[in-house]
Amino acid sequence: MPELQERRVVVTGIGILSAVGAGRDLTWTNLLAGKSGIVNTTLVEVEDLPSRVSGQVPDFDLSTYIDRKGARRMDRFTHLAVCAAGEALDHSGLDVASEGDQIGCMIGSGIGGIGTLEAEFDVFFHKGPNRVSPLLVPMFIPDMAAGQTSIRFGLRGPNYNTVSACASGADAIGTAYEVIRRGDAVAMVAGGSEACVTRMSIAAFANSQALSKNNDPLTASRPFDLDRDGFVIGEGAGILILEDREHAEARGAEIYAEVISYGQSADAFHVTAPSENGEGAARAMNMALRKADIAASDIDYVNAHGTSTPLNDKYETMSIKTVFGEGAYAVPVSSSKSMIGHTLGAAGGIESAITILSIVNQKIHGTIHLQTPDPDCDLDYVSDGPRDLPIKYAMSNSLGFGGHNSSLIFGKYEG
Amino acid sequence: MRRVVVTGLGLITPVGNDVASTWESLIAGRSGLGLVSRFDASAYDHPIAAEVKNFNIAEVVDSKLARKIDLSSGFALAASHQALADARLDMTQEDTSRVGVLLGTGMGSAHLIIEQQQILDEKGPRRVSPFLVSHMLPDTATGLVAIATGARGPNFAVTAACATGGAATGEAAEMVARGDADVMIAGGYEAPLQPIYYAGFNAMKALAEHEDPTKALRPFDSTRNGFILGEGAGVLILEELEHAKARGARIYAEWRAAGTSNDAYDMFAAAEDGHGIAQAMRLAMSRGGIEPTDIQYINAHGTSTPLNDRVETRAIREVFGEAADDLMVSSTKSMHAHMMGAAGAVEAAVIALVCHHGIVPPTINYTNPDPDCDLDYVPNEARQAEVRMAMSTSVGLGGHNSAIIFSKWEDA
Repeated sequence: MPELQERRVVVTGIGILSAVGAGRDLTWTNLLAGKSGIVNTTLVEVEDLPSRVSGQVPDFDLSTYIDRKGARRMDRFTHLAVCAAGEALDHSGLDVASEGDQIGCMIGSGIGGIGTLEAEFDVFFHKGPNRVSPLLVPMFIPDMAAGQTSIRFGLRGPNYNTVSACASGADAIGTAYEVIRRGDAVAMVAGGSEACVTRMSIAAFANSQALSKNNDPLTASRPFDLDRDGFVIGEGAGILILEDREHAEARGAEIYAEVISYGQSADAFHVTAPSENGEGAARAMNMALRKADIAASDIDYVNAHGTSTPLNDKYETMSIKTVFGEGAYAVPVSSSKSMIGHTLGAAGGIESAITILSIVNQKIHGTIHLQTPDPDCDLDYVSDGPRDLPIKYAMSNSLGFGGHNSSLIFGKYEG
Repeated sequence: MRRVVVTGLGLITPVGNDVASTWESLIAGRSGLGLVSRFDASAYDHPIAAEVKNFNIAEVVDSKLARKIDLSSGFALAASHQALADARLDMTQEDTSRVGVLLGTGMGSAHLIIEQQQILDEKGPRRVSPFLVSHMLPDTATGLVAIATGARGPNFAVTAACATGGAATGEAAEMVARGDADVMIAGGYEAPLQPIYYAGFNAMKALAEHEDPTKALRPFDSTRNGFILGEGAGVLILEELEHAKARGARIYAEWRAAGTSNDAYDMFAAAEDGHGIAQAMRLAMSRGGIEPTDIQYINAHGTSTPLNDRVETRAIREVFGEAADDLMVSSTKSMHAHMMGAAGAVEAAVIALVCHHGIVPPTINYTNPDPDCDLDYVPNEARQAEVRMAMSTSVGLGGHNSAIIFSKWEDA
C-alpha cells in the first residue's frame, strides 16, 4: 500500500440550529448572554408525559435550503441537518459545484426519524399495512441526514452516518477528520443532528430515569449543581465544514480553527451507567492527547458533556481529574447543555461548533443554573458567566449511553 | 500504514447460522428464501422473506438479557462471539483498550421500538419500558458486544442504509491501519422482518414477486423483478498483521482498501449512469494502488431489482474497462437475499472466504440473459478459481455506496 502523506485539517464553516437560536451567530450571542433555551414543550402533546420541558429550535425557515416537496420527504432531524449544513457551506465558500466528488458528508444521529416512525405506526394500526408510506423507511433511517444533505448540495465524496448515542455527532466529526487526513476527501460536511422532542423518545428517556423530573424550564437543566436530577431533552443540529488545510489556504478560505485530534473508547461496562470513576471517558481524552502529542496542561478549555444527570457530571468530573491531575482545577469547564439541553446525537456536533467559536472569539460561555455547589463536582465550571480566555487548545467531550466516549481537540489557527 | 488481516469470521444468515454452514450453502447454490413466518403476512399476495432459521437468542446471552434485547442485537452478539472464537482471540491475554467494536445497522432495534410504541399507544407513556432507551439505538449492539467481550477500544455504529456493512467494515479496517486499535470486531447486523417496516418496503413497490419463493431472486437475469428482505449478521475480526502473526493466528485474507461515496442524486434510486458506485470502487482502488487486472472477483450488490443490476453492471464496465470481461461477478444475495445493514459485512466475509478457499459462489436462478447485464455472473454453479484479489460492493437508499477489497493472504 502506498504511503500516505498525513494531512492537516481545518474548520472553514460552522452551522448551528439550537434551542437558543436558529443560526450560528444567534446561538453564540445567546450562549454568551447566558440565555436558556429550555421551554415548555409545544412540538408534541406532553400533558400525560412525565417530562414537559425541552430545548426546541425556535422557528426556522426551511425554504432557504429545502423546497416544499423535498421537505415532505424528510423527517425533522433531516430538516435540521440540511439547514445547518447549508449555513456551514455558505460560510465556507466551498465550490461544491466543481469539487463535489472530493467533498463528503458524515452526520451523526442517535435515533434518526423517530417522529416519522411514530406517525406511521398510527397509520399501520388505524388504517392497515397497505397504507403505510413508502417514505417510512427512507425518512426514518439515521443515515438520511447525510444522504439528503449530499443530495441537496451535490456532495459525492465519502458518506455515512455514525451512531454512538450521545456521542454520535462527535464521532461523525472525528471520523470525517480521519477521512481527510488519509486523503479520501478534500473537505467533509460533518456533525450531528437530532429531532428527539417526540412522545416516544420523551417517554423512553423519562422512564429510564435519565430526564429531569423538574418541569420548571428555568431550573431543570443544571449541570454540576448539587440539585441536578437529570437532563432536559433538546433538539438541534451542529455541522462543521472540515477541510484539508492546504486546500483551504490555497483558496484563501476563512479558517476558524484547526482540528488537532480525536480519541474514542468504550467503557465495556454497562448499557446506561458510566464506568467507575469515568475510566472510559478518561481513556478517550488521553487517546486524543496522545495522538496529538500534547499534554493535558496544554488544554485551555473543556466544553464538557455535562448533561445534568447525577452520575454523568460526577464521573465526568472524576475523569477530567484523572487526565488533568492537579491541573484540573485550573482549566475552565463549561456545559452548553445548561442552556440548550441535551441534544443527544447532535450534541457532539453543536458543542464542537461552540468550542470552535470559543477559540475564534477567545471567549467562553458559562454554565448557567449552577447555584448550589456539589462537593463531588469541584472544578471551575464558569458559573459566573462568560469569560475572556486566551485559548490555544480546547477539548469537547461527548459520552453516550452504551459506554461510548469521544474526545475532540481543536486548536487556534495560527496561519 | 499498518497492514490489516482478517483472522476470524462469524455469520448468522438465512442460509446458515455459522460460517461453515453458510459457506456450504452458498457453494451448493441453496436458496434461503421462503414465505414469511415471523408475522402474519396474509395482507400480501407474495409475502416472501429470507429468515434466519432456528435462532435462539437464549443460547447467545443469559435469559435476563435475552428478555430485554432486540432480535437484531441477538444476531450481532451471536456473530461477534463466533468471530472471536474463530479467531481464537483470548481476550484475557489482550490489552482490551486496543480491541474495538464497529458494527453497522440500517435501522437498529426494529422490533423493540414498535413493541414499545404499541404500549405507549395503548397503555400510556408511563408503561414504556425503562430499558427501551438503552436497547433501541442503532449503536446498542456495539455497546453490548463491548460489554460481553470486554473490548474497550473505539466503539460506535455506522449506518449507510444498504451500504452500511461495507462502510463499517472499511472504517474499522482504517482504525487498525492508522493505529487507533490493534483488533476491531467489525461488520453489520439487521433484523428488519417486522410488520411495519415490511409494509414500508412493500409500499416502495420494490419487493420481488414469484410463485416459488426460492426463485424470487434472479440477479442480472432479464426477468428479475425486485429484492427480498433478509436478516442476520456478519462479523469480521480485523487485526494488525504483526499482532496476528505474533499469536500465530490463521489468516483468511488481507484488507487492501475501502471507499465510500454518495450519488448525490435521489433518495430512492441509484443514478442511471452508475457514477456513485463507480466512484466508491475507484476510491478504493486508488487508495490501494490496485489496477483493474489485479481483481478477479466481485461480490456484487446485485439486489435483483431491474435498476440496481443494470446500473451496477454499467459501473463495473466503466471502472474495469476491457478487464471487466475477465472478471467473475456474482450476487450471493440470490441465496441469502438482501440483509440490509448486514449485507455488506456478510459479503465482505464471503470475499475473504473466496480468497481463502479459491472457490467462487454462484448467482443462482440465472437463466435469461439481459443485454444490459453482460458480465460473467458465475451462473448457477460454484467455480474453482484462484482469486488473488476480490471486491465487495454495496449500494444504499439515500445514495450511499461502498466498496471494499481483500486479497489472498500471502506472507510477503
